[in-house]
Amino acid sequence: MTTQPIVQLQNLSKTIGGKQLIQQLNIDLYPGQITGFLGPNGAGKTTTIRMMTGLMNPSEGKVIIDGLSLQDNYEEAISKVGVIVENPEMYKFMTGYKNLLHFARMHKNVTKERIQEVVRQVGLENRIHEKVSTYSLGMRQRLGLAQALLHRPKFLILDEPTNGLDPAGIREFRMYLRKIAAEDGVSVFVSSHLLSEIELMCDRVAVIQNGKLIDIRDINVETSSFYYIEATPNDQAAALLQKLDYNFVAENNGYVVEIKKEDIPKLIPQFVNEEIQLFAVQPHQKTLEDQFLEMTGGGQIAESNSK
Amino acid sequence: MLNLIQNEWMKLWHKKGTWAMVALLILFIIGPGIMMKYQEIKYNSNNSETWQESEQQVINLNKEMMEDENISAEDKKHFEEEMAISEYRLANELPSQEDGSVASFMSFAGNMLNLVTLFTVIIAASIVSSEFATGTIKMLLTRPVSRAKILTSKLLTTFIFGLFLYVVTFIVSALVGLILFGGGTGVELEMVNGQIVEKAVWNDLAYHYLLSGGDFVMSILFAFLVGSVFRSSSLAIGLTMFLSFTGGMIVMFLSRFKIVKYIWLTHSDLTQYERGSSILDGITMPFSLTILAIYAVLFLAISYMSFMKRDVTA
Repeated sequence: MTTQPIVQLQNLSKTIGGKQLIQQLNIDLYPGQITGFLGPNGAGKTTTIRMMTGLMNPSEGKVIIDGLSLQDNYEEAISKVGVIVENPEMYKFMTGYKNLLHFARMHKNVTKERIQEVVRQVGLENRIHEKVSTYSLGMRQRLGLAQALLHRPKFLILDEPTNGLDPAGIREFRMYLRKIAAEDGVSVFVSSHLLSEIELMCDRVAVIQNGKLIDIRDINVETSSFYYIEATPNDQAAALLQKLDYNFVAENNGYVVEIKKEDIPKLIPQFVNEEIQLFAVQPHQKTLEDQFLEMTGGGQIAESNSK
Repeated sequence: MLNLIQNEWMKLWHKKGTWAMVALLILFIIGPGIMMKYQEIKYNSNNSETWQESEQQVINLNKEMMEDENISAEDKKHFEEEMAISEYRLANELPSQEDGSVASFMSFAGNMLNLVTLFTVIIAASIVSSEFATGTIKMLLTRPVSRAKILTSKLLTTFIFGLFLYVVTFIVSALVGLILFGGGTGVELEMVNGQIVEKAVWNDLAYHYLLSGGDFVMSILFAFLVGSVFRSSSLAIGLTMFLSFTGGMIVMFLSRFKIVKYIWLTHSDLTQYERGSSILDGITMPFSLTILAIYAVLFLAISYMSFMKRDVTA
């Protein structure tokens, strides 16, 4: 990566009441990139996000946003960040528009035209002058996104952003995030439990467990390649794979085999020689879910780190 | 900062409770006004004696009382003063205010300033804690505005709201007084240094408004403190009200100890100097003001420190 990171977490740690919730977290986030933030419940996602938004002070380490330390240069650093922390809690007794006006007044240079523009972008034109208490959860999410985008942030932090959106809304939301990332070079950091969502939305995932970063990798780049092979009789196929020293696991009616692409033509004649009927040989991509469960060891909640 | 206050002001008036407070306050001024007027009309229609006769009665009554040999010198002085005033009225054709006047009604409505304090305490207690309760504090604190500024805007808004209620009380009671008692004639007299002079009712009224500011400011700062430290508006309102009701008792209990001089509760009711009898011997207005100022700074310091350092987990 040659571009400068827009956000850097440096040795970020948080200790509350003697418990280390977050330990020495180091993550760099780049412009135009959407990074997913995954971890089992209680892993420290929310705590990390709160430290990145200035809601909590780190016990150790720094959050650097666009070259400025969030702790020392709060006002300037946070002005580049758009935030939705958990459910966007709005002032329910006011209209959506008044809510946006309220937040716009807290930023410099957010005009009324800009408010209208954002309202259009999130598709709330028809209901914006109604009280937020009459909004559905999905509409509140849209309003939440609108307030986060008002000041054209360079960095967007979203905690569970698609919670409550309908499928069309999720899709629209995903496209929108992709668009601002690609066109405006906004760096997006999304925490979510919906792995399939993260998979569709993100370029990169950071996985955290027990307050430690256990992996950060680009999505869709397989470190090793897998093929799905379906053949009968099953046990003969298994015996053959065993004999040839391949790693494999049973899946559906066949096996997922760890094998290089160039080895496939050599493998197929072996099946034929053994008179095993071959039905399918196809590339197999592990889903993010598989990878996630593999990395976190089943994803059980860490005992002492839960809220 | 102006933007922030504008925001707080907007949020404040979008809550129904705020309007209810203003409506109640106005009602509590108009209601008693109408009742007073009603009783006055009823009394006047049953009562045919002229003001000269009633002044004469006052003189006779006081004379009778003076004949009692057991009265103290202080009481005697009081009776003499009353007689002197009544004689002065008869001699100079100055009827007293049998009927209510604008000023007398307004000084009655001055009691409603307690209600103003109560309402403002409710706002002070909830203006920070309600943001925590609804979770909107997260939206508020992730803006390019320091926490100190946000807290300041909330504190200032509370005071502006309080002053607004003061103005409402003043204007409404003036209007009600003018409409109901505007026709009243008569002069209030009092004896100052052996001279009979017209009572400075307006000055007294202004003084009362000013002195009630002591309790107003201290109650607000205390409610604001509890509300922002414990993030519970009910605790803040309850505690502030409890102290304002039992403050006198607490001071009495502690009056054996020297420390009582240095507790703000002893001093927050500045109207004690208006009445001329302070809750504790040997305290003066400047001393009270100094103690109150020290506590005010202390309350503010704790509020700000806790708000600025806190990890927001709401």
